[in-house]
Amino acid sequence: MNDTAELVKNKMSGGERRKRTSRGQGWEEAGAEFYQESYPADVDLEVWQRDPAHIATLLPSKQSRAATSKRVRGEVKPTLRRRTSTRSRYSSTARRTSTAHDVHMAMLPDLSENLSNEERTWEEIMQIKAMPVSMMQKKEMKAKLQTATKLRLQGFEQLKWQRRKVWQQMKSRWKETYSKLELWRHSLKKIEGNFGTGVVAYFLFIKWLMFLNLFIFLFILLFIILPTLVLVPQESPANTTLVEECSRNYFNLSVDSSFLDWVQGTGNMERTIMFYGYYTHKLISEDGNMHSYYNLPLAYIAIAVIYLLGSLAVMVKSAAQGFKERLVEGEGQFYQYCNLVFGGWDFCIHNEKSASMKHKALYNEMKACLEAERLEEERQNRSRDEMLKLMIMRCIINLIVLMVLSGALALIYYTFYFSQERLNKELLNPNTELEYLYKFILEFLPSIIIVCLNLLVPNMFAYLVSFERYSPLFIVRITLLRTVLLRLASLIMLMFSLKDIIICDEPDSCSCEDHPKCWETYVGQQVYKLVILDFVTHVLITFTFNWPRMLIAKYSKSKVAKFIGEQEFELPKHVLDVVYSQTLCWLGSFYAPVLPLLAMLECCLLFHIKKFACLVNSRPSSTVYRASRSNSLFMVVLLISFIVAVLPVAFAIAEIPPSKSCGPFRGHLTTWSVVVESFDQLPAWIKSIMFFFGTAGFAVPIFVVLVLCLYYFYAVSAANKQMVMVLKNQLVLEGHDKQFLLNRLSAFIKQQHEHQKVMRQVEMTNLDLSNAS
Amino acid sequence: MGQGKSQFTEEELQDYQDLTYFTKKEVLYAHQKFKALAPEKVGHNKNAKLPMAKILQYPELRVNPFGDRICCIFSSSHDGDCTFEDFLDMMSVFSDGAPKAVKAEHAFRIFDFDGDDMLGVTDLRQVIDRLTGQQHLSEQDMQHLIQNILDEADLDDDGALSFAEFEHIISKSSDFANTFRIRL
Repeated sequence: MNDTAELVKNKMSGGERRKRTSRGQGWEEAGAEFYQESYPADVDLEVWQRDPAHIATLLPSKQSRAATSKRVRGEVKPTLRRRTSTRSRYSSTARRTSTAHDVHMAMLPDLSENLSNEERTWEEIMQIKAMPVSMMQKKEMKAKLQTATKLRLQGFEQLKWQRRKVWQQMKSRWKETYSKLELWRHSLKKIEGNFGTGVVAYFLFIKWLMFLNLFIFLFILLFIILPTLVLVPQESPANTTLVEECSRNYFNLSVDSSFLDWVQGTGNMERTIMFYGYYTHKLISEDGNMHSYYNLPLAYIAIAVIYLLGSLAVMVKSAAQGFKERLVEGEGQFYQYCNLVFGGWDFCIHNEKSASMKHKALYNEMKACLEAERLEEERQNRSRDEMLKLMIMRCIINLIVLMVLSGALALIYYTFYFSQERLNKELLNPNTELEYLYKFILEFLPSIIIVCLNLLVPNMFAYLVSFERYSPLFIVRITLLRTVLLRLASLIMLMFSLKDIIICDEPDSCSCEDHPKCWETYVGQQVYKLVILDFVTHVLITFTFNWPRMLIAKYSKSKVAKFIGEQEFELPKHVLDVVYSQTLCWLGSFYAPVLPLLAMLECCLLFHIKKFACLVNSRPSSTVYRASRSNSLFMVVLLISFIVAVLPVAFAIAEIPPSKSCGPFRGHLTTWSVVVESFDQLPAWIKSIMFFFGTAGFAVPIFVVLVLCLYYFYAVSAANKQMVMVLKNQLVLEGHDKQFLLNRLSAFIKQQHEHQKVMRQVEMTNLDLSNAS
Repeated sequence: MGQGKSQFTEEELQDYQDLTYFTKKEVLYAHQKFKALAPEKVGHNKNAKLPMAKILQYPELRVNPFGDRICCIFSSSHDGDCTFEDFLDMMSVFSDGAPKAVKAEHAFRIFDFDGDDMLGVTDLRQVIDRLTGQQHLSEQDMQHLIQNILDEADLDDDGALSFAEFEHIISKSSDFANTFRIRL
């Protein structure tokens, strides 16, 4: 026993040692009685003596866990909201008139203190479902709560509670109808069951984009297309200007139309609401007289700004949600292994094949994580020579990538020029069938080149990246980044080559030589062609290329066939496809207002095409895709593409003069000048407010305030991080203390037990001896 | 659906709606699915107790490596045989409406193989073994993995995960809510 006292002494801090020693020794000697007082039954003591670890179950933390699972009916007491009863008591006493009566009432015991009212009972019933007990017990609990005496609510509180109940009912009914209306619910469930939640996130993303396009189109329909169709442009004045003349010439041009016009957007389609050229630059009203008018040019550009800003807002909100989750997860650390083990299995998988693939995927991921750790260690230990060699290799690879990219861009540029030249010089009037075909191919040549590049170059990147020896996660990211760069750069290059054609500054004639009369419609047509070609490519590749591959792999046994045929549903590649089509939609919507409708239909069809590619062509992937990380990936790529798509449009709006023959902005200097002119017409006080926002007197203080706020939040977050570290360390120490004390306690009890046994044996031998003698 | 509705009284449906995260229609749908496991037996007694083998024929549970643990946890007789009410309880916890805390509580019980209210090394070992299916990690890898998990999650350094620590990780994991879900 002495050594225990010693240890107890050593545990106490130095300053208190002398005081504690005497008390400690006293405690030691009184030890036996102490225990027998607190632990009533001898039975319990024996149980602990047999298994000292049983003491751990008496700890308060464990007791509260047991209580949640065995919550006896009688104990469902209103522990929460006790204040409500006192509040209601005061409010009811406040209504009394005479003070003597008040005093009298206040002195009576309040029998209602322990009874709950209807609302609290209802709340408690609602909380029963969170308890981890069986349904029978839950029903008993509910029955008991309902039959217990409870106060009725009066007046206003009754109304409030009724309103709450009604609101809850409405919410549940809304949830029910919404879940029935959910689009493609069956398909999503099938994909989820076969491939897991990471892949389903991709299809939900397609659905989200479809709804975004739908809303954009509804805006455009409501404010631009409908007014154009319904209302009438104002009558032109008698004197004709250059603009009027050019417009008349343009709209009276007769063109021969052929079947191919549907695909190219030329011919009769050119002068419909599909393209920018149809919309009038005049103000429109019901009967041509200007009693009340609708400013179409201003509406056109305002709607464009609104839907672009709206898309940006929605995307940022989505991305921020994912970002917030990452921050909450992180706080400096991402629970990689715990997430893998506890959140790794998708409980919604329902067929054998996917389940076995999932097992394999989890196994691979576990091995990969452990491997990555080893690689990290290895990386730390890399010698200088190796590092140098690796750096040089990486520089070379990056240079090669840049060269490939520039080569691709140059190819696009020259192809475009080549096709333009040929079309303008030689094929103005095609005569034979062959010439028609040649013309058709030349029209589509730039788009075809872009599509081929998009198919071939990423494979080259995937091959090159294996030389750089990055970690697997980084490989995925950098390949994705390079592919995104390729796709966006090729689009920009196309726009750039278009720029030379469309910019033309001759004030006296309708348009320049060899330049299209209506360049905005021309740009719209190019984007329209790209969209059509992109979609057709997807259909072709999925059905005529990948599907036979799958059939080959399925029905032939040879290794070569398996190698060619087996495909996996690689998420990044398919994400890029969808993002690319959305980029085209944003890029072209200003010049072809019906494009969002097309994009919406394309998303709808793409959903089913990708579903076919996923369910039929591919087998479950051997990498684990996590829904949360996938979502943030989609949003980031979408954001980057959005910014790249908006830049050319913004440049065109601000700098390039609109064509004189067509469109809502003919006659103005630039497209943006419509807004400037309308702004000038606003009342003076609004203008002065807007100007004030632009002055330095406003901007500088706001900037300073923002910087201060930023610094404040940064300081708070740094302090919180510090606090978390301190608390974590403290927790570890407390855990060690607890373990130590438990060990000492069980050792002590054992010692007690031994001591008692010895004492009892001594007594028995004494008794025997005394009996014998 | 009409046939299903006649089996339950309005009061029972209201009870089920109040005590689970389902609406009345979803309760009836769940009953349909339960009935599909053993039509004759459930036809006689709508709250029939089905043996664990029958429950495990439900598609999502059949391929789930923790299927038997799930049945044991939700079975009111603790031997794996479930009545319809147990099944309803199970589906309610796995549904979208159940909050993360409730899911964490039940996930903890599912993973706690030896029932000592802590996820110790043996529990973790069994969890990992079941997750990898036919393939098995080498002993060294297993120990390494378990050590990594304890490093990440065991805040008081006692060699096992208590419920508080488990709930702490789950609250930080956004994947858990997505994966710990069975849609009816």
